[in-house]
Amino acid sequence: MVDAGVSPVVELSDAALVDIVLRGESEAYARLVARYRDRYARFALHMLGNREDAEEALQDAFVRGYRSLHRCGDPARFGSWLLAILANRCRTAGGRRARREKRFVSAEDRHYAIALDHPADASAWREEIRLALSRLDANQREAFLLKHVEDMEYEQMSLVTGAGVSALKMRVKRACERMRRMLTEGEDAPAR
Amino acid sequence: MRQHDDTEDMSRDETLERVVQELRRPLRVNASLFDARVMDEVMRAPSGVGGRFESLLRPRTFRVSPLIALAAGMLFAVSIAGSILYVLPSRSRGAPSARGAQSEVARAVSGSPIVEFGFVAPHASSVALVGDFNNWDPKATPLRAASTGGVWSVEVPIQPGRHLYAFVVDGTVWRPDPAAPQATGEDFGEPNSALTVADPGMR
Repeated sequence: MVDAGVSPVVELSDAALVDIVLRGESEAYARLVARYRDRYARFALHMLGNREDAEEALQDAFVRGYRSLHRCGDPARFGSWLLAILANRCRTAGGRRARREKRFVSAEDRHYAIALDHPADASAWREEIRLALSRLDANQREAFLLKHVEDMEYEQMSLVTGAGVSALKMRVKRACERMRRMLTEGEDAPAR
Repeated sequence: MRQHDDTEDMSRDETLERVVQELRRPLRVNASLFDARVMDEVMRAPSGVGGRFESLLRPRTFRVSPLIALAAGMLFAVSIAGSILYVLPSRSRGAPSARGAQSEVARAVSGSPIVEFGFVAPHASSVALVGDFNNWDPKATPLRAASTGGVWSVEVPIQPGRHLYAFVVDGTVWRPDPAAPQATGEDFGEPNSALTVADPGMR
């Protein structure tokens, strides 16, 4: 049995793993899941505002990704390709949720809270950010997160979202302006 | 190009730096249970990728290259060591149907948030949840094994507040939840995990 504590990490490239999965060794897909799980869960959480929807969208994206893996044109960019699927699932789930409830749900990510020195302050700040994010237009929120949280280039964002580079720049710019206004001037947009 | 640069420079003042810093905080997913669920669906998924699904339904029997065996073995080992805590007040949506009735009953009885505990242990013959909410009684809250993947889980009504808990595997082995904060030294000298359940009224 492999000892989890001391085993060397075997880092296969995305392209190699995709190739192995496509040859029928589906277990290898677990490596891709592990590789992108946490980072993309964070993206989905920020897009959807609650952990349950985020995990559901992410699980859905991984399964859809597996089912259509043969259509992944560039296996070396599996991550971006999967993120495009996830962004799409988030749009669908976000629209569904917006019809269901206008309230921005919180309190699911309490793993955050536990390690903080000043939980009350930090939690108030987190809540402000969460509210501000939730009040952005979904396209703006997506562009903002991809650019500034995921640190992507506009060309890459264009592949993920299907939107043009100039449109994405405008979304990011507006998202930043709006976030700044909400967080510094207390703009309370009527989002509900 | 200049407009591009201006856009980016202007967009990251001090406030937005703080926002970005907060939003970049790592998120810890309930890894082993999440992965088990994805892979469970993957193994059952009709797909264009080909593969020998009959054999793949026995995911622990690797007949693959040494590198992949090692990688998959590591994942498996991690999943054995790992356990997963769902700190969501359950809304049952997306939960396996076998648990639905139980959680409805539990919610109706207690009114407390339902917390789903999960533990991946394919070779265990029993897994139990012990914590301050059941007097650390290994017989009180057994987990049930899913049909595949070695995923054990149980849904329990837990009163809002901070709790300590652990899992007992095969009746003897005490396991904290590595996916949750540890609270060593607070109780009995055993490594326990800490859980904070939010008051649903606060949401």
